[in-house]
Amino acid sequence: MAQIVLRDVVKRFGAHTAVNGMNLQVRDGEFLIMVGPSGCGKTTTLNMISGIETPTSGEIVIGGQVVNELEPGERGLGMVFQDLALFPHLTVYENIAFGLRVKKVPQAELDRRVRAAAETVHIVPLLAKRPAQCSGGESQRVALARTIVTNPSVFLMDEPLSSLDAKLRIDMRTELKRLHERLKSTFVYVTHDQAEAMTMADRIVVMSGGAVEQVGGPLDIYRRPATQFVAGFFGTPTMNFLAGEIEARDGRLQFNGTSLRQPLAGGLPASLAGRKIVLGVRSEHVDVGGGTAQGRVQLIEPLGDESLVFFEFGGDAPLVAKVDAETGLRPGDNLTFGFNPAGYHLFDAGSGARLN
Amino acid sequence: MSAAEMTRPQADPTGRRNVWRRRLRVAARHAILIGWALIILFPIYWMIATSFKESHEWVAWPPHWLPHEPTIKNYSQIFTFDTMQKGVAREATEQPFNVWGPLGDSLLICTVSALAALLLGTFLAYSISRFNVGGGRFRHAILMIRMVPPIVIAIPLLMYYAIMIPLAAETVIGTRIILFDTRVGVSLIYIATTLPFVIWMMLTFIEEVPYTLEHAARMMGAGRMYTLRRVVLPLVASGMVVTFLFVFILNWAEFLLALTLTHPKVVTLPVLLNKFQSASEGRLFGPQAAIGTIITIPVVVLGILIQKHLIKGFSFGTIRK
Repeated sequence: MAQIVLRDVVKRFGAHTAVNGMNLQVRDGEFLIMVGPSGCGKTTTLNMISGIETPTSGEIVIGGQVVNELEPGERGLGMVFQDLALFPHLTVYENIAFGLRVKKVPQAELDRRVRAAAETVHIVPLLAKRPAQCSGGESQRVALARTIVTNPSVFLMDEPLSSLDAKLRIDMRTELKRLHERLKSTFVYVTHDQAEAMTMADRIVVMSGGAVEQVGGPLDIYRRPATQFVAGFFGTPTMNFLAGEIEARDGRLQFNGTSLRQPLAGGLPASLAGRKIVLGVRSEHVDVGGGTAQGRVQLIEPLGDESLVFFEFGGDAPLVAKVDAETGLRPGDNLTFGFNPAGYHLFDAGSGARLN
Repeated sequence: MSAAEMTRPQADPTGRRNVWRRRLRVAARHAILIGWALIILFPIYWMIATSFKESHEWVAWPPHWLPHEPTIKNYSQIFTFDTMQKGVAREATEQPFNVWGPLGDSLLICTVSALAALLLGTFLAYSISRFNVGGGRFRHAILMIRMVPPIVIAIPLLMYYAIMIPLAAETVIGTRIILFDTRVGVSLIYIATTLPFVIWMMLTFIEEVPYTLEHAARMMGAGRMYTLRRVVLPLVASGMVVTFLFVFILNWAEFLLALTLTHPKVVTLPVLLNKFQSASEGRLFGPQAAIGTIITIPVVVLGILIQKHLIKGFSFGTIRK
């Protein structure tokens, strides 16, 4: 059993509060990704689970046991560090064997396990080399093998892919996911890259300012972000936000922005009338060519199969829409647009909390 | 290809002139450096040459650039086992100048105290680096200790060594602790005076070792000492060698404290050097030069042996980030 529970965990560094009352349950065997901008407390949280940092208050429970006072090595965890932390003076073999040597595993078993771990991540030919002679991707695998070899019930990973180039990073995502399926261990993974979180996670924990913003599956978070922060953090391009007010007209609610009025879908409580809100619409829900609003193209970003159109319409910031690559729009062209009401996200202008 | 390269003419008349100017600059630089090296190295050459000269050649004028009658008499005089000086004594040489005792004393004292200072200093530097022992300014305070000139502490230390410590120990534990004129006494003071350097140097090396390496070892269940032994110390080994050498040479050449805190039993080589005075012949330059040469040899040999570590250590680039 490798369920991890965090109860009201707080971590302060002097006057600075890095983690502010965190509550979280990591289920046995799941791939959980903590994501957020730098300084949001995700790495500190991971370090408290690992035992490198001690919480100022609150409890950390692993497999039913409170581990606050346990040394990192006694918690049965494995960790992959952001800078990988391979020992530069030891060969790849000895790097992988390090944890087993600490535990005084007999030589024959040690050798068997090191080779098995190396095979799992396909680095058997590297065993005699030193970390400095390995490429970025190879070092990554060595760090993984070093963690796998001790059979931890929980893998902690602190932005392990951040040092790799874009192509390799995407390949490693698939590989990590495959590894997770094979080992069936609990993975707790920290990243600031929302795409990494979306592609790999069973569940995502979005953090901001030392607290949890939302916990949920990747698609839940994408489709129903709980706050404006989460909505803005997930998805490329960033969601369009329009500030305005809700107005009741003829018994129906409508959004009243600086230069745009849009009827809202039914089913919203009438009490929202008069509220200052932020309306969020993803680029795929902006319908270029449909609707009646007028806009003027500023910029086209072709993605290949689709293109992003940035256009101004008299509001505070330009809007972005995802359109078919063959539309033939050019900068300076006039267009009409509308929104798909099914894609509306309504957030409170003050707290950023979701309203619909 | 950049725009600058595209527009550069194929046969540039100023290009050739630039080449010559560069060559001239290189030649001038080498001439200055070679001249400087000659000025620096000449006294060392002169010492070695004198160590092979007969007594009448030591102060001959015009100088004998090379020994006219090369002799190893100076060396046999200092390396003699014949303390009565029958075989090698010059007529008026009054004292037996036997180098064996001082050589042994110097080697023993310098090696032991440098090793002890290295061991203590490495662990101190580690704790200062990792646990911030003593607070943020402690490392500067340590170096400040070394700003006190030895002359200030020489006589107070003598008082302690010769009077205070033995007598106080006799009163308290009933037996005298003899530090004056003992190898232990000199070693202790050498450890104390070099420790700030060791801490300072080892701090730079230890701070090069990323914390995450220790975290990684800790995650795998390694204790603090195991991590130090298997991870940190191997990574700063080059630095330790450099530091040892540096401290060893400092002690090897230390004169003032050794002179003040010993007499007559313990004699280090720098102290011995100054004893070549004879009433009838004046200063005995030959044997003195021989000892000077002997003192220089271990420094040079050590330097050559650990050249690789020296370069590695001083470049502070031992760990790939």
